[in-house]
Amino acid sequence: MSGIQLNRLLVALNRIKQHGYIPICKQSTAAQSKKEPEKIEVFVDGKPVQVEPNTTVLQACAVAGVEIPRYCYHDRLSIAGNCRMCLVEIEKSPKPVASCAMPVMKGMRILTDSPLTKRAREGVMEFLLVNHPLDCPICDQGGECDLQDQSMAFGSDRSRFTDNEFSGKRSVEDKNIGPLIKTSMNRCIHCTRCVRFGSEIAGVSDLGTTGRGSDMIIGTYVERLFMSELSGNVIDLCPVGALTSKPYAFTARPWETRKAESIDVMDALGSNIVVHTRSGDVLRILPRTNDEVNEEWISDKTRFAYDGLKRQRLTAPMLKNRDGYLVPCDWEDALSVVAERIGRTGSGSKMAALAGRFCDAEGLIALKDFMNQLGCETVCVEERFPNVGASIDLRSNYLFNGTIAGIEQADLVLLIGTNPRYEASVLNARIRKAWTHNDLQVAVIGPKIDLTYPYEHLGDNTNVLNELTSGKHAFSKTLNEAKRPLVILGSSMFERPDATSIYASAAQLSEKLRDVSAKEDKEWRVFNVLHRYASQVAALDLGYKPDFKSIIDLKPSLLYLFDADEGLIKREDLPKDCYIIYQGHHGDRGAQIADAILPGAAYTEKHAIYANTEGRAQQTHLATTPPGKAREDWKIIRALAEVCGVALNYNDLDEIRDRLEEVAPNLTRMDSIEEANYFKQNVELLKQHKTSFNNQPLTPPINELKDFYMTDSISRASLTMAKCVKAVEQQLKSRHTN
Amino acid sequence: MTEGALAKVRQWFMIMRHYGGIKNTILALYRYDDLKVGKCIGADKYGNHYYQNHRYFVGRSRWVKYADRVGLDYDASQVPPEWHRWLQYITDDPPTTTPLKRQPWMIDNIENKTGTSQAYVPYTTVPNKIESWKPPSPTTTQQTVTMKT
Repeated sequence: MSGIQLNRLLVALNRIKQHGYIPICKQSTAAQSKKEPEKIEVFVDGKPVQVEPNTTVLQACAVAGVEIPRYCYHDRLSIAGNCRMCLVEIEKSPKPVASCAMPVMKGMRILTDSPLTKRAREGVMEFLLVNHPLDCPICDQGGECDLQDQSMAFGSDRSRFTDNEFSGKRSVEDKNIGPLIKTSMNRCIHCTRCVRFGSEIAGVSDLGTTGRGSDMIIGTYVERLFMSELSGNVIDLCPVGALTSKPYAFTARPWETRKAESIDVMDALGSNIVVHTRSGDVLRILPRTNDEVNEEWISDKTRFAYDGLKRQRLTAPMLKNRDGYLVPCDWEDALSVVAERIGRTGSGSKMAALAGRFCDAEGLIALKDFMNQLGCETVCVEERFPNVGASIDLRSNYLFNGTIAGIEQADLVLLIGTNPRYEASVLNARIRKAWTHNDLQVAVIGPKIDLTYPYEHLGDNTNVLNELTSGKHAFSKTLNEAKRPLVILGSSMFERPDATSIYASAAQLSEKLRDVSAKEDKEWRVFNVLHRYASQVAALDLGYKPDFKSIIDLKPSLLYLFDADEGLIKREDLPKDCYIIYQGHHGDRGAQIADAILPGAAYTEKHAIYANTEGRAQQTHLATTPPGKAREDWKIIRALAEVCGVALNYNDLDEIRDRLEEVAPNLTRMDSIEEANYFKQNVELLKQHKTSFNNQPLTPPINELKDFYMTDSISRASLTMAKCVKAVEQQLKSRHTN
Repeated sequence: MTEGALAKVRQWFMIMRHYGGIKNTILALYRYDDLKVGKCIGADKYGNHYYQNHRYFVGRSRWVKYADRVGLDYDASQVPPEWHRWLQYITDDPPTTTPLKRQPWMIDNIENKTGTSQAYVPYTTVPNKIESWKPPSPTTTQQTVTMKT
């Protein structure tokens, strides 16, 4: 019996000892119970409503089911109160009141439909339209424009304004703020949502206002790039057509597009998105609100890398001809040749499979079943995970246990070797949000980087981690006082030679902190791993080996690459006669070394399950069909297995999901997090490990904005992303830097 | 003379003599659903024969017997332009008596290819929605080799 097997047995025994049985996990409840403050009663159009104190009149009206028109007010931004569109009449108040900025008072009587309110709205609309160009027919916001909608619903049917002097409307120069956002500043109504987004959520103060009154201008003062990885969100925020998407300019109207709800795979957060398509063409990607994951933000890579889905695609199976060049062929030929090669390899012990970052759970389970039935056990994922303690046997070891929403309840976050700003931009926005609203304290072990919020820099070497674990560091005191701390370990640290030690120290430190925090909250989870690859958690759940080096050690005569495009395994690492099969959607590093290519579907082209870094399973829906002869990934593997004479007992999506449920039931329970436990047991096992660090600093791979844009096969094929890189490089050369 | 059963029989014989036997007459009836007697004015190089008979009124008095080689696949576009103008009464002088001046830039008559594999299809000016990956081919790899050296 090997050491690992012994460990596993120990864990199982511990489980039974603790619980008397192997416990079934229940769904986590991220929200904590706070003492509810007393509610107060207000009347909206005579209807009594109970609201919490400190809410605004506008929110109280929303509770009553009355929507107040607004431009500047936004749920997730601070209150500006400068558009005046939300004026309502309040009884016993001499003037109409801006409801977004007015706190409710006991017994307040709000009139949202009175003649005074109506007249106030009509007046405000009139003033806004005085300086707004009438270019709706050529405006990209047309059809989804708040100004259009609200002037129809609340505006007057005529304007009293006539330009007697023929002086013309206010005109403002358009700004060039980068390759993503198109500006048309004449249309701006000065709601300042973009400025507030920049300074509050994105944490860059590039955008601002100059001048006042009708001379007010929104812009960057000097021409410069809006340097943020979340910049695309201002397009959604802008209530008019002043900020629109540059790649999407003049392509479609919102009513022409079909919308498919989907999940992003550019990072491991699993941001919820909506894919807009027209006649089988992905036109744009917009965020979908999910407070548990991405609120309503998405990163620029998520939003704009979609044009990469149209370039460098694998649209037909390919086989090498006699001269050693890949030539397109039919599925029949490809499958029979590949199956014949698999048959010739004989036993599976000389085979290996490697799964990449975009693999869906269905494809992963199909590949694993296929390989295992052939007798192959070297089924790996590209991202590594240290093989120490219980390793991937316990889900809590590799999940973001504290949950993304949990960051808002935390009072201290320790980032180890991760740069969440570029590895998970939306998560970074969440940390920034917690820092702004909850006085979250952040400490970083790693290089000094701009995370958009201040943090305590503890150093970038492994000594700091060692000292923290043993409690000798100066910061240990603060750490131990934290009531709800989170330790976030970046997955890039697992690539280091001393990954096991870093992982063990982080886990031990977390367990120590959990002992302290347990006094406050028994359910609080401290240890978190921030993954970078969308497929990683599902792959680990399904039992993939997180060790690609074992493939090189095996010297396989057949290698099955499934979307593996990181270029970790090179042709030189493998024996000369090794046959490489690549299944995926882009002609990238994987396809270049392949002997046979089976074209798969990208994430917008299939119904598929992805688990994010929290372990939350989410489902993408088909937005377009796979191009050319490309097919859904699990179907390719299923067909190949049939030709090889291997029985995989699933013929449709439901059946393969039943199989998923057999292996990892959490992957079929959509939008919920299965609790993962056994931190204590894992730490017990880690005690056997002897820590030995090496002196490399703990540096995450991406530390600059220009490296953020092109990281995977989709974004490497994207022209928009290439333009972004160029724009950032130019900006860095410019004199007008921060 | 043009009345009576005997006249009909005489007409039949005339027609059959014109077409050259019973078999050819039946074939002509099968091809054109009509049997017309007239004077052969001429033939073009494609094998079409042109007839005229002023006993029929204008519009029916000139006709073409298409080349035997086309069988039932005859088409008005097989008539070359010089005969077309005679056939459609644009002129009364057939090209046999007054040939048209042949310009060096004139091309042969091309019949309508619709419905065949040679039919004209305009090429698309819209770029492909999906750009396929081009695997390294002998030409591209040579280029890269030369670029390196």
